[in-house]
Amino acid sequence: MENYDLIVIGAGPGGYPAAIRGAQLGARVAIVEREQLGGTCLNWGCIPTKALIHAANVFATVQHADRFGIKAVIQTVDYAGMIAHKDKVVGQLRGGIRQLLAANGVTQLTGTARFVDRQTLAVGDQRVRAQKIIIATGSTSAMPSNLPASPRIVESRGFLERSSLPSSLLVMGGGYIGCELACMAALLGVKVTIVELLEDILLLLDADVRREVRQVMEQQLGIRILTGQPMEKIVASDRDVSAQVGNETVRADLLLVAVGRKPVTDGLDLAAAGVKTDDKGFIPVDEFGCTNVATIYAVGDVTGRTQLAHNATSQGIRAAENALGKARSRYESLVPGVIFTVPEVALVGMTETEAKAKNRAVRVGKFRFGGLGRAIAVGETIGFVKWIVDEATDQLVGAAAVGPHATELIAEATVAIRSELTARELGRTIHAHPTFSEVWMEAAHAVHHECVHAPPRRK
Amino acid sequence: MPNPIIMPKFGQMTEESAIVEWRKKEGERVAKGDVLFTVETDKSVMEAESFFDGVLLKIVVPPGVNVPVQSVVGWIGEPGEAIPETPPPPRPAAKPATATAVAGAAAAARAPVAETPTVIVPAAVTAQTPSAPARFRISPRARRLARECGIDPTKITGSGPGGRITERDVRAYLMAHDYDRLRITPAAKALAIREGIDVLSLRKDGERVTVADVERAIAEKPKPLSRMRQVIAQRLLQSKLTQPHFYVTVSVDMTELIAYRNGLKASGLPYTITDFISMAVVRTLQEFPTVNSSTDGKTVRWYSHVNLGLAVSIEGGLVVPVIHQAEMLTLREICDRSKQLAEKARAGKLTPDEMSGGTFTISNMGMLNVENFAAIINPGEGGILAVASTQKQPVVRDDQIVIRQMMKMTLSVDHRLVDGALAAQFLNSIKQKLEDLDLWKTMT
Repeated sequence: MENYDLIVIGAGPGGYPAAIRGAQLGARVAIVEREQLGGTCLNWGCIPTKALIHAANVFATVQHADRFGIKAVIQTVDYAGMIAHKDKVVGQLRGGIRQLLAANGVTQLTGTARFVDRQTLAVGDQRVRAQKIIIATGSTSAMPSNLPASPRIVESRGFLERSSLPSSLLVMGGGYIGCELACMAALLGVKVTIVELLEDILLLLDADVRREVRQVMEQQLGIRILTGQPMEKIVASDRDVSAQVGNETVRADLLLVAVGRKPVTDGLDLAAAGVKTDDKGFIPVDEFGCTNVATIYAVGDVTGRTQLAHNATSQGIRAAENALGKARSRYESLVPGVIFTVPEVALVGMTETEAKAKNRAVRVGKFRFGGLGRAIAVGETIGFVKWIVDEATDQLVGAAAVGPHATELIAEATVAIRSELTARELGRTIHAHPTFSEVWMEAAHAVHHECVHAPPRRK
Repeated sequence: MPNPIIMPKFGQMTEESAIVEWRKKEGERVAKGDVLFTVETDKSVMEAESFFDGVLLKIVVPPGVNVPVQSVVGWIGEPGEAIPETPPPPRPAAKPATATAVAGAAAAARAPVAETPTVIVPAAVTAQTPSAPARFRISPRARRLARECGIDPTKITGSGPGGRITERDVRAYLMAHDYDRLRITPAAKALAIREGIDVLSLRKDGERVTVADVERAIAEKPKPLSRMRQVIAQRLLQSKLTQPHFYVTVSVDMTELIAYRNGLKASGLPYTITDFISMAVVRTLQEFPTVNSSTDGKTVRWYSHVNLGLAVSIEGGLVVPVIHQAEMLTLREICDRSKQLAEKARAGKLTPDEMSGGTFTISNMGMLNVENFAAIINPGEGGILAVASTQKQPVVRDDQIVIRQMMKMTLSVDHRLVDGALAAQFLNSIKQKLEDLDLWKTMT
């Protein structure tokens, strides 16, 4: 039986960085993967959707290029061509991970890992042992149990594997996955209806941010958004899918189900290792990533903490260091979130709603992209950013951006918040002109009503 | 002419009190009988009502400041009326006479000195809390620099006249303490300055000082104990320092009494095990007057009544309501009175008089799953009985090991009054009563 210092189960964005970090620290490391290197993120999540969303945005840009004096005629939109581009991207990145693992001397095992005891795993016919094990098995789309089986009903992975777009699309769930794919499809001319059970889509955002996105999605992209009602009586026929929403019957060629994600632990036999799960099947970990078993760690979606690839990567690196006896460090708690809707949205730290719920006295500084030279020059003036600032100490505690390049811009806010900067410090920092990033500086000035590029507050 | 609001005297022992909260704002109209403010005495929080109709013109004593009772804490009058510079003489305090009278009785025995007549201090004077020692002198520029840097100026030695700290002193201090090399996040610094925490005290080796570090320092800052805990601290320390304790423990077989009590409960009677223990203690104290006494080391005072204290744990501490003249009560009366006092204690409604005058106390931790514990005597009392949980135990009866419901009791007594043999007799007498079912059948 092969003996390792560290075995990582799952080669997604949490697992493969853990394995590489382990190897960097001089450990003998193996990684087990039953599907594709890169996990959900690379194969059926972040990366493929971004390839397609970009393609859709290119289409929209060309469509509206005449305002810049460019007259273009679009011959066709070849969705299969977009899918081919996506597949090429995914293939390239997968190859990159394989090479990185190999270059670091990580043994790659293919198959489903099963715990025999807390230090032994069975992978196919093979048995392997390790001092420390990191579980990074991720999550998969949750599907309501009452859905009929039909090729017309897909979750996000199934949606991305299709080589053609439907002419109309129903989306169950107004979370970020549903909204991103809805925007992409709508840009390419698909008639989209989103049905969300709760009172609004993207509920983790503050109301002002939500309003901004929803307005563009509805008015510019023509997406129908039905909220506060469940989707019931779902019937799939040869011709279409129909469902009841309130008093109305909605129909479309395809139903995309995006109602959340559940942990993947099937076949692991966690009980054989004594690893406990919570009532939803997630594996709880302490702030160092350790499960209830001292030699077994867990990272990423399977832990039930913020389910985002970059969080998994950060946790994977921490967990490998903690497992291999480096000075222990806690999982990072500041996790930015990015949503590739039209317009893009991003947030980090505390929202205004959370601050209110925690009775924390905060001030808000907002600035609209419409006040920036660069934004006007390139015709991208929708949206705003805002800082949430501790009233007593002026500390930046949260930020949100909705508008052009919001997903890139959030990086500055993340660094600033983690560095515990104050709004004054941030506002004093020179931001290059003309760039979108100036918006953060202006919003920081706005916290103290000292904005140069906005009218004074009415007394 | 506006009427003064006087800090009322709740209970005979109270010498000073602090206002917890003003229920009325300056400028607000109040009617006679309205609650003006709440007061923390050394025993509980009480409400103070207005004796006058009018407008609350001025609050003299802010919340949290201890002032002698009978001080002027505010003024009620009509808008525009001038408030006198010096408070008018307070209403005659009729209390000293009563206090002395009571001092002769058992209830006041715990007060080491007879109560002195309250000295009236102008409220405005006591309300001021000195912000720094009188001799601390610093120039405004130096003070500002120290504040901007987030350092504690009282640690700086001044070179100016009379030891006054100058800006140069602050700069030299910063230099000497490597202030330039202190790494602290902007938000952490802002928070430290706001909370008055010396940033130099936060310095870490090589690492940046973060908001979390400052929050830890804030959490560790000494804060005043609650008034209740201060009283507990003062009284228990007094007891431990002046009353030499010793301890005796016995095990009581509660099997039959518990079965008997369960039978009573099933027939709708409210007795608890504690009531039986209380009654047994009251009876036994009458047999052993030496235990129901107190001493100052020179004289001994035997109390003619048994005033039984019952320790009740409440949010943030504990209180000891007293069943006065418990020897006059039937078991049922002890049961009802205990229940009533415990409810008042948990609701924070005990009056100071209901919490004073005890001669002996029972502390029952039976419901807290403990095998045994020893309690500290309430100052001025002769002893305290600590009652632990009843647990099934193997015991020997007629040379057979059997399972019985056993309860340990530990007596703490003042050795100046009681010696080992007497303590043993006293405690065993309680034990015998609790194990004697026939006794209880006559009482229920």
